[in-house]
Amino acid sequence: MVLLSAAIAVYALVPLGYVVTETISAGWDTVTTLIFRPRVGELLGNTIALVLISVPLCVLLGVAGAWLVERTSLRGHKAWALLLAAPLAIPAFVNSYAWVSAIPSLAGIFSGVLISTLSYFPLVYIPVAATLSRLDPALEQSAASLGLGPWHRFFRVVLPQLRLAITGGALLVSLHLLSEYGAFAMIRFDTFTTAIYEQFQSTFNGAAANMLASVLVFFCLLLLLAESRTRGNVRYARVGSGAQARATRLALRHFQWPAQLFLAALTLLAFGLPLYFVARWIVQGGASIWQRAELLPALLQTLGYGVSGALATTLLAFPLAVLAVRYSGWLSRVLEGANYISSSMPGIVVALAFVTLSVHWLPTIYQTAFLLVAAYVLLFMPRSLVNLRAGLAQAPVQLEEAARALGKPPLLAFLRVTLPLTAPAAAGGAALVFLGVVNELTATLLLSPNGTNTLATEFWALSSEIDYAGAAPYALLMIALSAPMAYLLFSQSKKAAGQ
Amino acid sequence: MSAEIAASTDRHLEIAGATKAFGSTEVLKGVDLAVAKGGTTAIVGPSGSGKTTLLRIIAGFEAPDQGSVSLKNSVVADAETWVPAHRRQVGYVAQDGALFPHLTVAQNVAFGLNRRGKAAGARVKELLEMVSMDYAYAKRHPHELSGGQQQRVALARALAREPELMLLDEPFSALDAGLRTATRRAVAKTLAATGVTTILVTHDQAEALSFADQVAVMRDGRLAQIGNPFVVYTRPADRATAEFLGDAVILDAWLEGSLALCSLGGIPVRRPPAQGRVQLMLRPEQIRIAEGGPIRGRVVETDYFGPETTVRIQLDPLPIDPAKPVDPHQPKGGEIIAIRHWNAMLARPGNELALRVVGEGVAFPYQ
Repeated sequence: MVLLSAAIAVYALVPLGYVVTETISAGWDTVTTLIFRPRVGELLGNTIALVLISVPLCVLLGVAGAWLVERTSLRGHKAWALLLAAPLAIPAFVNSYAWVSAIPSLAGIFSGVLISTLSYFPLVYIPVAATLSRLDPALEQSAASLGLGPWHRFFRVVLPQLRLAITGGALLVSLHLLSEYGAFAMIRFDTFTTAIYEQFQSTFNGAAANMLASVLVFFCLLLLLAESRTRGNVRYARVGSGAQARATRLALRHFQWPAQLFLAALTLLAFGLPLYFVARWIVQGGASIWQRAELLPALLQTLGYGVSGALATTLLAFPLAVLAVRYSGWLSRVLEGANYISSSMPGIVVALAFVTLSVHWLPTIYQTAFLLVAAYVLLFMPRSLVNLRAGLAQAPVQLEEAARALGKPPLLAFLRVTLPLTAPAAAGGAALVFLGVVNELTATLLLSPNGTNTLATEFWALSSEIDYAGAAPYALLMIALSAPMAYLLFSQSKKAAGQ
Repeated sequence: MSAEIAASTDRHLEIAGATKAFGSTEVLKGVDLAVAKGGTTAIVGPSGSGKTTLLRIIAGFEAPDQGSVSLKNSVVADAETWVPAHRRQVGYVAQDGALFPHLTVAQNVAFGLNRRGKAAGARVKELLEMVSMDYAYAKRHPHELSGGQQQRVALARALAREPELMLLDEPFSALDAGLRTATRRAVAKTLAATGVTTILVTHDQAEALSFADQVAVMRDGRLAQIGNPFVVYTRPADRATAEFLGDAVILDAWLEGSLALCSLGGIPVRRPPAQGRVQLMLRPEQIRIAEGGPIRGRVVETDYFGPETTVRIQLDPLPIDPAKPVDPHQPKGGEIIAIRHWNAMLARPGNELALRVVGEGVAFPYQ
């Protein structure tokens, strides 16, 4: 098991290793000429501006929404709690498609900010809301008894406790911004990812694409480092024991209507508008758009890749999760690190690495379903791991020991005790992987075998040809398949919060 | 090591020279222990003393680094032999019961049984009766039971395979005080009825003394003393054991022959370990408030508990014997001792009291 896990860890580092070796083997002169040029400067400006504007906006919207839902007398807060997570069901490139349908002239940095903020603020909202709901109100009550008013309590007691959730969410948003291709290509906003894709299209395996990829990877690693720095070592869990009281909600009084308006506007823009335009295109397209020959194969192939990706990822993640939870040591730390780094690798970099490596070393697997599934495993392993680890934590090793004391050999003890207890978490992780595969665009475009079309790639092909009506059924199917994922994420975060 | 091994020819478990280290931390530093067939042994010690590791080595969850473990005179663990947990015929009840949360009570109890269907059902019913659980609970899940019920189901599950040795790893410590005593009694009764050899690990000395017929006091990876509860309580092997097993009054004393001279007068000592300067240990209940008692003191502080009051008494300074004015071994009095008394009215701060000592003291070499 240790060997297998080590092999998986090495595998997880393939994209990073690829980028590093390509950069080194290109030689210093090539690197400098390819990196220090106006085009890269422009991309750098775009990407940095996008991150610097969108991330704070997402944090602001996410924290404000979570606070309103969890800590105020907001009317209908249960419905709002779900609605604020709902935009996750709309893939960012579908959101972009809807906005372009609404305002065809959309382009440039502020459209990028608009679309990415509306698509990604739930990534901050969900962890912050979960943390807020499990935050011990006794902390705030103590602060109140020490003479702090509501505003001071929020900024001096609550906000510091939310730091982990906020930085974690902000990291996720930033990584999504760096790796998103479709949403930005649709509005002709150039980031590193879109530029790498274009380079790849024009020169296939050029040094230029590789150098852009190494700059992109550098940024991802920088973000990881920044996040782990801000995490620090301060303790945020509850220190005491005993049951926790319910939080009291702050009365909104005459802010009730402005709050309702704010949330309504946010939901309308992030969730209502995309749904409306998808629906409008479907109505406009009529019956003919459902009769395309590609629709059913695309759906079936998507389901096929989703299921095989989910199964492969879960199977391979299991030994890693067991090792990480049950055995602490250098190996499990290395595994954690490898997984942490690979979780930040954009799909475009993974795809680029897999294309180059397979063409050079294993041409037989290039453009095969096997290679595509292998890339999915690498891209979505972290989702599965997070779930499996939580599940294994529910199946303490003491239970297996009890089974062994009752005469069951170790393997049987594992199969009869740990496996059934971990199954729900494994299924949850597998579902997240499945839905990740359904919405994956970049790696699928680069790696899929000839003639293979998933919902995402077919949607992409049609909307690139400005056949918006034809693309609408694909968008609808993707939303329908993603809605359970958004709901799953939402309810899991609530469960983690003990509700 | 001063530990005395229980005299028995019919040994069920024997551990010889067991050591265990986790990384650079030595958890067991050479443990010898013998447990008689059908007996009840409590391994008691403060947390971190290695008692749980010892139990896990007996169960077969860990292997000793050195030394050997034998069950019924056959070696199950030493340098060459290793019998894994599932082949040791040992029952095990963990601290929190470790019931399988995905299985019902009946499925939990039947987990170790090799029969299925009706035969298993009958046995489950029998086992639940044995631990005084109504059969109506059979279809419930562990989270629908109280802590005490969970522990009783865990015991029933462990008894299912009729083990000859039962290991209990602090099974009562997660229960609240009232439930703890009741569950402990019920478990002790069930185990006594089945005649199974039992080893209980606990950090609660009262639990160890009341549960077992042999108490092994563990400290810092070694067994400091093994003996029956009365012996280890009244004649602890060293000062740390004395203080761990209960409250102790410790006074400087001068030992000559078997009489220790201290501020409480001359106290008889059985088996004196040394002569001359020693520390004398008495249990608080040996010092009684008695009209006309030879020892005088003044109450300095009291702590009221309801049925009892802890009374801190400063002993009166003793007059210097004019015959031996420079004898350095003469007790000087003035120490503060803590005893217990039922009458809170009698023991008010400032009251003068007369005391009397009952029974023998234990002397430890001076530290």
